[in-house]
Amino acid sequence: MRALVIDDSRAMRRIVSGTLEGFGFETRQAGHGQEALDVLHEGWVPELCTIDWNMPVMDGLQFVSAVRSNPGWRAVTLMMVTSEGEHGQIVRALAAGAHEYVIKPFTADAIRDKIALLGLLPQEMAL
Amino acid sequence: MTSPAITELLDEAIVQEIADQAWTALVGEDEVLVPLPGELPADTLSAWVAVVGPWTGSVVLTCGRETAEQLTRALLREHAPAVLDDEDVADALGELANVVGGNVKAVLPGPSALGLPEVGVAPRAVASADTCRVDALWRGQPLTISVQGAVLDAVNADPSYGNGVPL
Repeated sequence: MRALVIDDSRAMRRIVSGTLEGFGFETRQAGHGQEALDVLHEGWVPELCTIDWNMPVMDGLQFVSAVRSNPGWRAVTLMMVTSEGEHGQIVRALAAGAHEYVIKPFTADAIRDKIALLGLLPQEMAL
Repeated sequence: MTSPAITELLDEAIVQEIADQAWTALVGEDEVLVPLPGELPADTLSAWVAVVGPWTGSVVLTCGRETAEQLTRALLREHAPAVLDDEDVADALGELANVVGGNVKAVLPGPSALGLPEVGVAPRAVASADTCRVDALWRGQPLTISVQGAVLDAVNADPSYGNGVPL
Protein backbone atom coordinates (compact mmCIF):
# COMPACT_ATOMS: atom_id res chain seq x y z
CA MET A 1 0.00 0.00 0.00
CA ARG A 2 1.17 3.49 -0.79
CA ALA A 3 0.14 6.75 0.87
CA LEU A 4 0.78 10.36 -0.02
CA VAL A 5 0.81 12.63 3.04
CA ILE A 6 -0.12 16.21 2.18
CA ASP A 7 0.36 18.87 4.83
CA ASP A 8 2.16 22.21 4.93
CA SER A 9 3.59 21.35 8.35
CA ARG A 10 6.77 19.33 8.17
CA ALA A 11 6.18 18.10 11.70
CA MET A 12 2.69 16.87 10.86
CA ARG A 13 3.93 15.18 7.68
CA ARG A 14 6.51 13.30 9.73
CA ILE A 15 3.92 12.28 12.34
CA VAL A 16 1.32 11.08 9.82
CA SER A 17 3.93 9.35 7.65
CA GLY A 18 5.42 7.62 10.70
CA THR A 19 1.97 6.43 11.76
CA LEU A 20 1.15 5.06 8.30
CA GLU A 21 4.55 3.43 7.91
CA GLY A 22 3.84 1.66 11.20
CA PHE A 23 0.79 0.18 9.48
CA GLY A 24 2.92 -1.05 6.56
CA PHE A 25 2.42 1.84 4.12
CA GLU A 26 5.11 3.16 1.83
CA THR A 27 4.80 6.94 2.02
CA ARG A 28 5.72 10.09 0.17
CA GLN A 29 5.08 13.64 1.31
CA ALA A 30 3.90 16.89 -0.26
CA GLY A 31 3.77 20.36 1.28
CA HIS A 32 0.63 21.51 -0.56
CA GLY A 33 -1.98 20.38 -3.04
CA GLN A 34 -0.09 21.36 -6.18
CA GLU A 35 3.02 19.50 -5.06
CA ALA A 36 0.81 16.46 -4.43
CA LEU A 37 -0.76 16.74 -7.91
CA ASP A 38 2.76 16.83 -9.35
CA VAL A 39 3.49 13.51 -7.60
CA LEU A 40 0.35 11.96 -9.09
CA HIS A 41 1.16 13.31 -12.59
CA GLU A 42 4.61 11.83 -12.23
CA GLY A 43 2.89 8.42 -12.05
CA TRP A 44 3.22 7.69 -8.33
CA VAL A 45 -0.47 7.08 -7.68
CA PRO A 46 -1.11 5.91 -4.11
CA GLU A 47 -4.03 3.99 -2.64
CA LEU A 48 -4.45 6.69 0.02
CA CYS A 49 -3.91 10.43 0.29
CA THR A 50 -4.11 12.14 3.69
CA ILE A 51 -4.89 15.80 3.16
CA ASP A 52 -4.65 18.88 5.33
CA TRP A 53 -7.17 21.62 4.55
CA ASN A 54 -5.39 24.94 5.05
CA MET A 55 -2.25 25.02 2.94
CA PRO A 56 -0.53 27.60 0.77
CA VAL A 57 -0.50 27.41 -3.06
CA MET A 58 -3.34 24.85 -3.28
CA ASP A 59 -5.49 23.91 -0.32
CA GLY A 60 -6.87 20.50 0.52
CA LEU A 61 -10.35 21.10 -0.83
CA GLN A 62 -8.96 22.23 -4.20
CA PHE A 63 -6.76 19.14 -4.27
CA VAL A 64 -9.72 16.84 -3.58
CA SER A 65 -11.69 18.48 -6.42
CA ALA A 66 -8.72 18.18 -8.79
CA VAL A 67 -8.25 14.48 -8.04
CA ARG A 68 -11.94 13.75 -8.38
CA SER A 69 -12.07 15.48 -11.76
CA ASN A 70 -9.55 13.00 -13.17
CA PRO A 71 -11.17 9.58 -13.85
CA GLY A 72 -7.73 7.99 -13.94
CA TRP A 73 -7.37 8.65 -10.21
CA ARG A 74 -10.78 7.38 -9.12
CA ALA A 75 -9.21 4.51 -7.16
CA VAL A 76 -7.35 6.92 -4.88
CA THR A 77 -8.92 7.11 -1.41
CA LEU A 78 -8.93 10.63 0.00
CA MET A 79 -8.86 11.24 3.74
CA MET A 80 -8.86 14.74 5.17
CA VAL A 81 -6.62 15.13 8.25
CA THR A 82 -7.19 18.66 9.44
CA SER A 83 -7.88 20.96 12.36
CA GLU A 84 -10.98 22.23 10.51
CA GLY A 85 -13.62 20.69 12.76
CA GLU A 86 -16.71 22.70 11.83
CA HIS A 87 -19.59 20.52 10.66
CA GLY A 88 -20.05 22.64 7.54
CA GLN A 89 -16.42 22.11 6.51
CA ILE A 90 -16.71 18.35 6.95
CA VAL A 91 -19.79 18.33 4.73
CA ARG A 92 -17.98 20.43 2.09
CA ALA A 93 -15.01 18.07 2.01
CA LEU A 94 -17.16 14.95 1.77
CA ALA A 95 -19.31 16.58 -0.92
CA ALA A 96 -16.17 17.41 -2.91
CA GLY A 97 -15.17 13.76 -2.88
CA ALA A 98 -13.23 13.05 0.30
CA HIS A 99 -13.98 9.59 1.75
CA GLU A 100 -13.11 10.18 5.37
CA TYR A 101 -12.36 13.00 7.75
CA VAL A 102 -10.02 13.02 10.75
CA ILE A 103 -9.88 16.06 13.01
CA LYS A 104 -6.54 17.07 14.53
CA PRO A 105 -5.46 16.33 17.16
CA PHE A 106 -5.71 12.61 16.46
CA THR A 107 -4.21 9.48 17.90
CA ALA A 108 -2.55 6.69 15.92
CA ASP A 109 -5.53 4.51 16.86
CA ALA A 110 -7.93 7.01 15.28
CA ILE A 111 -5.97 6.86 12.00
CA ARG A 112 -5.85 3.09 12.19
CA ASP A 113 -9.63 2.87 12.74
CA LYS A 114 -10.32 5.15 9.77
CA ILE A 115 -8.07 3.29 7.34
CA ALA A 116 -9.48 -0.02 8.55
CA LEU A 117 -12.95 1.37 7.83
CA LEU A 118 -11.75 2.29 4.35
CA GLY A 119 -10.48 -1.25 3.84
CA LEU A 120 -6.89 -0.09 3.50
CA LEU A 121 -5.36 -1.67 6.57
CA PRO A 122 -3.17 -4.62 5.59
CA GLN A 123 -4.86 -7.81 6.78
CA GLU A 124 -2.04 -8.76 9.14
CA MET A 125 -2.34 -5.34 10.85
CA ALA A 126 -6.11 -5.67 11.22
CA LEU A 127 -5.78 -8.80 13.37
CA MET B 1 -23.88 44.82 14.14
CA THR B 2 -21.28 44.64 16.89
CA SER B 3 -19.31 41.43 17.01
CA PRO B 4 -19.37 39.60 20.32
CA ALA B 5 -16.37 39.69 22.66
CA ILE B 6 -14.56 36.40 23.01
CA THR B 7 -15.41 36.24 26.71
CA GLU B 8 -19.08 35.99 25.72
CA LEU B 9 -18.30 32.99 23.50
CA LEU B 10 -15.91 30.82 25.47
CA ASP B 11 -14.03 30.72 28.75
CA GLU B 12 -10.64 29.61 30.02
CA ALA B 13 -11.92 26.11 30.84
CA ILE B 14 -12.83 25.49 27.19
CA VAL B 15 -9.47 26.73 25.94
CA GLN B 16 -7.67 24.63 28.55
CA GLU B 17 -9.66 21.54 27.52
CA ILE B 18 -8.82 22.07 23.85
CA ALA B 19 -5.15 22.57 24.68
CA ASP B 20 -5.14 19.48 26.90
CA GLN B 21 -6.46 17.37 24.02
CA ALA B 22 -3.86 18.75 21.64
CA TRP B 23 -1.08 18.10 24.14
CA THR B 24 -2.13 14.54 24.88
CA ALA B 25 -2.52 13.62 21.22
CA LEU B 26 0.43 15.48 19.75
CA VAL B 27 2.99 16.16 22.43
CA GLY B 28 2.60 12.88 24.31
CA GLU B 29 0.09 10.73 26.11
CA ASP B 30 1.50 11.58 29.53
CA GLU B 31 2.17 15.24 28.82
CA VAL B 32 0.04 17.58 30.87
CA LEU B 33 -0.55 21.28 30.93
CA VAL B 34 -0.82 22.37 34.54
CA PRO B 35 -3.12 25.40 34.75
CA LEU B 36 -0.77 27.56 36.78
CA PRO B 37 0.77 30.87 35.77
CA GLY B 38 4.51 31.22 35.42
CA GLU B 39 6.79 34.01 34.34
CA LEU B 40 7.72 33.80 30.67
CA PRO B 41 11.42 34.28 29.95
CA ALA B 42 12.64 37.31 28.02
CA ASP B 43 13.34 35.24 24.91
CA THR B 44 9.93 34.03 23.77
CA LEU B 45 8.48 32.69 20.57
CA SER B 46 4.84 32.95 19.52
CA ALA B 47 2.85 31.06 16.93
CA TRP B 48 -0.69 31.99 15.99
CA VAL B 49 -3.52 31.45 13.56
CA ALA B 50 -6.12 34.02 12.59
CA VAL B 51 -9.82 33.30 12.85
CA VAL B 52 -12.05 35.41 10.61
CA GLY B 53 -15.81 35.25 11.01
CA PRO B 54 -18.54 36.53 13.31
CA TRP B 55 -15.69 36.81 15.84
CA THR B 56 -12.35 37.84 14.38
CA GLY B 57 -9.02 37.55 16.10
CA SER B 58 -6.22 35.11 16.66
CA VAL B 59 -5.24 32.16 18.78
CA VAL B 60 -1.72 32.73 20.03
CA LEU B 61 0.61 30.23 21.67
CA THR B 62 3.62 31.79 23.42
CA CYS B 63 6.48 30.14 25.27
CA GLY B 64 10.20 30.47 25.85
CA ARG B 65 12.45 29.55 22.94
CA GLU B 66 13.91 26.64 24.88
CA THR B 67 10.41 25.36 25.67
CA ALA B 68 9.55 25.65 21.97
CA GLU B 69 12.54 23.44 21.14
CA GLN B 70 11.49 20.86 23.72
CA LEU B 71 7.95 20.92 22.35
CA THR B 72 9.33 20.33 18.86
CA ARG B 73 11.32 17.30 20.03
CA ALA B 74 8.29 15.93 21.86
CA LEU B 75 6.10 16.43 18.80
CA LEU B 76 8.53 14.79 16.40
CA ARG B 77 9.55 12.01 18.79
CA GLU B 78 11.88 9.60 17.00
CA HIS B 79 11.55 11.63 13.80
CA ALA B 80 13.28 14.66 15.33
CA PRO B 81 16.57 15.54 13.64
CA ALA B 82 19.72 15.49 15.80
CA VAL B 83 20.01 19.25 15.40
CA LEU B 84 16.81 21.29 15.26
CA ASP B 85 16.90 24.34 13.04
CA ASP B 86 14.72 27.43 13.47
CA GLU B 87 12.39 26.21 10.73
CA ASP B 88 11.73 22.93 12.58
CA VAL B 89 10.81 24.84 15.73
CA ALA B 90 8.65 27.41 13.92
CA ASP B 91 6.89 24.65 12.01
CA ALA B 92 6.14 22.56 15.10
CA LEU B 93 4.97 25.51 17.21
CA GLY B 94 2.90 26.73 14.26
CA GLU B 95 1.21 23.35 13.93
CA LEU B 96 0.37 23.29 17.64
CA ALA B 97 -1.18 26.75 17.30
CA ASN B 98 -3.02 25.54 14.20
CA VAL B 99 -4.51 22.54 15.99
CA VAL B 100 -5.54 24.54 19.05
CA GLY B 101 -6.82 27.38 16.84
CA GLY B 102 -8.82 25.04 14.61
CA ASN B 103 -10.56 23.54 17.60
CA VAL B 104 -11.20 26.96 19.13
CA LYS B 105 -12.75 28.03 15.83
CA ALA B 106 -15.02 24.99 15.91
CA VAL B 107 -16.66 26.15 19.16
CA LEU B 108 -17.15 29.74 17.94
CA PRO B 109 -20.15 30.86 15.92
CA GLY B 110 -19.55 30.21 12.25
CA PRO B 111 -18.94 30.21 9.48
CA SER B 112 -15.38 31.23 10.20
CA ALA B 113 -12.13 30.74 8.36
CA LEU B 114 -8.77 29.79 9.72
CA GLY B 115 -5.58 31.41 8.49
CA LEU B 116 -2.24 29.71 8.01
CA PRO B 117 0.03 29.55 11.07
CA GLU B 118 2.43 32.44 11.59
CA VAL B 119 5.41 32.54 13.89
CA GLY B 120 7.25 35.51 15.35
CA VAL B 121 6.20 38.44 17.47
CA ALA B 122 2.58 37.88 18.42
CA PRO B 123 -0.13 40.33 17.41
CA ARG B 124 -0.97 42.47 20.42
CA ALA B 125 -4.19 41.89 22.30
CA VAL B 126 -6.67 44.76 21.96
CA ALA B 127 -8.66 44.68 25.15
CA SER B 128 -8.93 42.33 28.07
CA ALA B 129 -12.68 42.03 27.45
CA ASP B 130 -11.91 40.48 24.09
CA THR B 131 -9.14 38.20 25.31
CA CYS B 132 -9.40 34.78 26.88
CA ARG B 133 -6.01 33.71 28.16
CA VAL B 134 -4.82 30.48 29.69
CA ASP B 135 -1.52 30.39 31.58
CA ALA B 136 -0.05 26.95 32.08
CA LEU B 137 3.08 25.07 32.93
CA TRP B 138 4.42 22.28 30.74
CA ARG B 139 7.24 20.30 32.30
CA GLY B 140 7.44 23.17 34.78
CA GLN B 141 7.95 25.77 32.06
CA PRO B 142 5.45 28.55 31.44
CA LEU B 143 3.43 29.05 28.30
CA THR B 144 0.31 31.00 27.41
CA ILE B 145 -2.56 30.43 25.04
CA SER B 146 -4.42 33.59 24.21
CA VAL B 147 -7.61 33.83 22.19
CA GLN B 148 -7.66 37.52 21.41
CA GLY B 149 -9.67 39.91 19.31
CA ALA B 150 -8.02 41.51 16.31
CA VAL B 151 -6.75 45.04 16.14
CA LEU B 152 -9.11 46.39 13.48
CA ASP B 153 -6.45 47.75 11.13
CA ALA B 154 -4.59 44.45 11.29
CA VAL B 155 -7.42 42.57 9.64
CA ASN B 156 -7.41 42.58 5.88
CA ALA B 157 -10.73 43.81 4.50
CA ASP B 158 -10.71 41.01 1.93
CA PRO B 159 -8.66 38.29 3.55
CA SER B 160 -7.38 35.26 1.71
CA TYR B 161 -5.02 32.41 2.41
CA GLY B 162 -2.47 33.93 0.10
CA ASN B 163 -3.25 31.47 -2.67
CA GLY B 164 -6.33 33.28 -3.84
CA VAL B 165 -8.65 31.21 -1.72
CA PRO B 166 -10.99 33.55 0.12
CA LEU B 167 -11.20 33.02 3.85
